Amino acid sequence: MKTGRREFLQSASAALVGLSVKGEQRIAGSFVNDSFQLGHELRDRANFPAPIQIARHAVVIVGGGIAGLSAAWRLQKKGFTDFVLLEMNDRAGGNSRWGENEITAYPWAAHYVPIPGPQAVYVRELFEELGVLKDGQCEERYLCFSPQERLFLFGRWQEGIEPAVGLGAADREQFQKLEDLIHGFRESGHFTVPMEIGLSKSTANLDQVSFADWLRDQRVDSRILNWYLNYCCRDDYGATTANTSAWAGIQYFASRQSEEKGPLTWPEGNGWIVRRLLERVGKFVRANRMVRKISRRGTGWSVIAGDTEYRSEFVIFAAPTFLAPYLIEGMAPLHDFEYSPWLTANLTLEHLPKSYGTDPTWDTVFMDSPTLGYVDATHQSVRSRVDRSVWTFYWALAEGNPAANRALLLAKDWSYWSESILHDLERVHRDIRSCVSRIDVMRFGHAMARPRPGAIFSSERRSLAKAGGRIRFANSDLSGFSIFEEAQFRGVAAADGILKELHGP
Amino acid sequence: MGILLFITVLVIAACGLVYELIAGTLASYLLGDSVFQFSTIIGCYLFAMGVGSALSRYVNRGLAYRFVCIELMLGMIGGFSSALLFLAFAYTQGFQLLMYVLVMMIGGLVGLEIPILMRIIRDRYRFRDVIAHVLTFDYLGALGASLLFPIVLVPYIGLVRSAMLFGIVNVVVALWSTFLFSNLITPLRGLRIVSVVILCGLMLGFAQAKRITTAAEDNIYADEIIFARDTRYQHIVLTRFKDDIRLFLNSHLQFSSRDEYRYHETLIHPGLSAIAAPRHVLVLGGGDGLAVREILKYPQIESITLVDLDPEMTKLFSTNPMLTSLNLKSFLSPKVHIINADAFPWVDSNSDFFDFIVIDFPDPTNYSLGKLYTTAFYKAAARHLSAQGLMVVQSTSPMFARDSFWCIAETLKQAGLQTYPYHVYVPSFGEWGFVIAGTHDYKLPTTVPTGLRFVSVASLPPLFQFPPDMAPIPMPANRLNDQVLVRSYDQDWKDISH
Repeated sequence: MKTGRREFLQSASAALVGLSVKGEQRIAGSFVNDSFQLGHELRDRANFPAPIQIARHAVVIVGGGIAGLSAAWRLQKKGFTDFVLLEMNDRAGGNSRWGENEITAYPWAAHYVPIPGPQAVYVRELFEELGVLKDGQCEERYLCFSPQERLFLFGRWQEGIEPAVGLGAADREQFQKLEDLIHGFRESGHFTVPMEIGLSKSTANLDQVSFADWLRDQRVDSRILNWYLNYCCRDDYGATTANTSAWAGIQYFASRQSEEKGPLTWPEGNGWIVRRLLERVGKFVRANRMVRKISRRGTGWSVIAGDTEYRSEFVIFAAPTFLAPYLIEGMAPLHDFEYSPWLTANLTLEHLPKSYGTDPTWDTVFMDSPTLGYVDATHQSVRSRVDRSVWTFYWALAEGNPAANRALLLAKDWSYWSESILHDLERVHRDIRSCVSRIDVMRFGHAMARPRPGAIFSSERRSLAKAGGRIRFANSDLSGFSIFEEAQFRGVAAADGILKELHGP
Repeated sequence: MGILLFITVLVIAACGLVYELIAGTLASYLLGDSVFQFSTIIGCYLFAMGVGSALSRYVNRGLAYRFVCIELMLGMIGGFSSALLFLAFAYTQGFQLLMYVLVMMIGGLVGLEIPILMRIIRDRYRFRDVIAHVLTFDYLGALGASLLFPIVLVPYIGLVRSAMLFGIVNVVVALWSTFLFSNLITPLRGLRIVSVVILCGLMLGFAQAKRITTAAEDNIYADEIIFARDTRYQHIVLTRFKDDIRLFLNSHLQFSSRDEYRYHETLIHPGLSAIAAPRHVLVLGGGDGLAVREILKYPQIESITLVDLDPEMTKLFSTNPMLTSLNLKSFLSPKVHIINADAFPWVDSNSDFFDFIVIDFPDPTNYSLGKLYTTAFYKAAARHLSAQGLMVVQSTSPMFARDSFWCIAETLKQAGLQTYPYHVYVPSFGEWGFVIAGTHDYKLPTTVPTGLRFVSVASLPPLFQFPPDMAPIPMPANRLNDQVLVRSYDQDWKDISH
């Protein structure tokens, strides 16, 4: 009653004052930092000028995402400095790149790390070094603040993303059943982070079926539960349960303990970790150096990037593995590497929508939306009052064929995507258009490795993952899916492998 | 015709007196010192009436027309006077000026109306009857108004709406006069249209009057609202009933002027008096300046830094005479440095040390405020403690929100501090709790400043004892990533209200 009158007056005066304002407030923005152009030059084998200088290093790291930076971190920490890291973009970071405006820093993609378990030894070592872990305890300021997540479903909000309202007895029974099954897999010790530790041929049969089929075999047919599982797969793999290996679906749940309050996150997402890594190894990074050819030269390698030919004894290939056949002379084409295209957007909000409800949460998800919702970049601020904010909107183009979706990403213009995003947000925040002043959109043609059935135990993938010798592959896609811990593990392992060859065991 | 005429006199006399009483009451509410306010207002009003009467001799033609115009002006100015004065108090520095201008205008118009009315009707009656009847009904109207005002108008209708109501009566008189003197007035139609427009304006004002003072929520306040303002950060409301001024922030009671000394003396002196030679004090929150008032009772203190989010709040308590009489102009002391900033980032970025830190935030009603009650915040604050330093934390009620109180104590403990919880009875709040915390032992003070109304050395030990209904209960600490306090606080108060 009280607010009713106030709202009436506000809307009445708005109607009087602002018939013109009501029309269309212009929202600025553009596509940001796409690497489509660079990638396609490579694919089409454009004519590049010949290199004009030679640089010699014992090791060349190709790719400045988490895998490459972790390899560099490891080499330097072991006292080895005769290496360079070649990065295609103007800044290292890969899927952990970030942006910043006058309001806050914000992520462009990867934006959190779950609290590392006991098997994630390298993550724990890094986090102890960065002050994220102190004597095994997480620094409070880096843990996601309360309230963490919420889900809009059946016309209302609930805390947490796992649906808890509107469940029938059958739904609850199936949730419980799945939990029991997952518990068994967790106890088996075969589902670990990093996955290489626990990987066992005894679970290979799970990789032969899709998660959707496996769920059907377990008689899990609850619509709400299936929505949730599908959401999880889209969020971590960019794929629906039908396009996800059952092994990967189970890994999502069984690899982690029911954890203390987490995850670890920062305003700029995993960009915070990149910043800390760059403070340590930034001097080895050569940005704007797109590698265009890697060939054998004697016992070592010739790596051509920009105007320079880098000659090295070893190469760590930390860029997405699907690029390798385009770059490495004589390498056979790959067939088992599929990637999900993604779109992310950063929305600048001049004020929060009135439809926001009470306390702002970190991660907001709408049930039955094709998108993944949004994360509030100012959530990790200790300020008690936040007026303006930046929301990072996530959208894995999971339905349908990845190649067709990549074509769609390229074909449609900025206003198509920004309109689609606003449309999705308007399901819940009807006043969102009056809040947003800017939408910057980033398109990722190959955002995440997609663990489709057969991908995890693919012999092609396994042999590259285990390859020794003078070139080491380190991208997280060798695990079959793209998460921070996998990238870091493979980067560190590649560095260790090379150090062993150089110095002996 | 005759009796109707004299009822008109009665009504307009009542209207004039009501406006005057409203001005006097408002000034007493808002500025205090009611003897001074009423004396000066009655004086001004009577003087202005005299001026009006003197000027009436210059009104020669169209007497009835001008009489109606005067009534309309009176209705308009008088009707909106109270609302205008409230707004002027809330948003400008010119309350008193506006008040005397309005009183003079109303007095002048009232002074004009009676002589003009007498001249209009002088041909219908003998002169001595005109004088006798008009003055009789004039004084009768005044009697009626002076009885109606305290018995009906103030308690049931409120100051803003009473003014509007009598403005409406004034305009109805004007409209009615156009019929009474229809043969004397040209142009009749225009005057009636203007009357109806003003009437509609006043009726709309009457219907909406609550919004002007209270933003439609005075049903939650027991007393008259004398100040209401939405700042960027909060909704500030002051209410007054007799000598009791209450401050509400976002509808939560912050203090009652009758017993706030119990709260603020107990917040400050048990901790501050226990420090041998305190020189630098930090206050986080406390934008009302009442905690600073207590701290200024220690002459050896060299600086007091106060960090409060809301500049309008600290400005209000630095400039408003009614409020500075409560905090004894504490914000004007040269020792006090006011910083309008968000406390957590300020504590993170500042590197000064303090001998005593007062943490006096609003209760943890939401997750944003809850951040200021976490282990992370207390650790950050404790980094500012000097070697002998102590801090004291406003910790909500150990009686009504027992879980929350002990949760705050546990949070301080897990931030690595030694804790000394205590409590006090504040009638307007109920039992209220605080926690002294530091990196060393705390011992009760052996002296306290002279002139305190509640705290004495002998009264302190019992404050640190908790009877069974407020005794400690095991609670987890409140952390940024798991704000148990906000949930328990919400639950504690729900349990009470159901």
